[in-house]
Amino acid sequence: MLSLGDCRYAFIVVGLMGVLVFNVPSLMLFVHLPGGERFSELYVLGPGHMAEGYPFNVSAGADYSVFLGVGNHLGGSASYQVVVKMRNATEPLPNATSGVSSPLPMLYGYEVFLAEGQTWEEALVFRFDDVAFGVNVSSVGRIRVNDAWMNVNETAMWDNVNGGYYYQVFVELWLYNAPSNSFGFHNRFVSLWLNMTSFA
Amino acid sequence: MFSVPCGLTVGFEEASVAVADADGALRGAFVAVSDAESAGANVSGLIGRLNDAGVALTGARVALAVGNYSDAVGRAGECRGLADGVVLDAGVLKNDAAAQASRWWVTVLLSVAGSVVFGVVLFLVWRRFKRYYADRLLGCRPEVAA
Repeated sequence: MLSLGDCRYAFIVVGLMGVLVFNVPSLMLFVHLPGGERFSELYVLGPGHMAEGYPFNVSAGADYSVFLGVGNHLGGSASYQVVVKMRNATEPLPNATSGVSSPLPMLYGYEVFLAEGQTWEEALVFRFDDVAFGVNVSSVGRIRVNDAWMNVNETAMWDNVNGGYYYQVFVELWLYNAPSNSFGFHNRFVSLWLNMTSFA
Repeated sequence: MFSVPCGLTVGFEEASVAVADADGALRGAFVAVSDAESAGANVSGLIGRLNDAGVALTGARVALAVGNYSDAVGRAGECRGLADGVVLDAGVLKNDAAAQASRWWVTVLLSVAGSVVFGVVLFLVWRRFKRYYADRLLGCRPEVAA
């Protein structure tokens, strides 16, 4: 049998725990626990919503699709721009080290608003037109991104190492900064290498 | 509602201004939503409407780029209308959240009252238990056999 002193301690412990439980709602008003790591996701999936089946050998007149995704883990709502660009092998990609975006022009931009923890996924459908081939060179006159035709006038030289005319469609993630009222490159990008061929 | 009447020709300049205005309105709407969120409001519904406005703005930009200026103006107007609605609702949510937050003392009062009642009840239980314990102890008195 417990002594009366032991029982007193048990009552005191139960009392303190009860007071703590009753005061949790009040404590939550004033104590804010630190959140986890803050970051944004940017990803590209194949046409089957899987990380496979990405378009590679492409040609004029055919539609190719992938899915773009963005996830917000910044601790609050965020406003993003998902910017689609195109380049050949010699033109600059974004510089991840210095956090500078590619200077190439935007072909298409998605406006994305996400609450904390939300993800966004949308199809990116593209098609090439005015594709021509010369001696060791190919050119692309136009690209349609979703429903918008854009003139690109890109050329690619024959790649002896990999055997093909390589272009890259890449996607940059930009984040809106309210104090400066402007978008800044969020230092995330994904890309697709495409080998332009003359056959479908 | 936002389309340009037939017969009026819309130029690049006008379309550009409309798209830029819609862009500014959308940024302003996002800032209003962020403010409401900071005040403690649940803004998930407003985020969905911002995305609708974003789709309209994207369409306006594409229309502007391909030279379909009247469509650009129409979509920019649609974006602006949605953004303005979001700003109004964000303001209401922010005020509601602020009013809710200003009633923090009710929570504190209920916590303190609950703690006090719990403490008093526990004290009464303790007193009763102590008496029961003493009675049981007295009931265990050793008896000397004759």
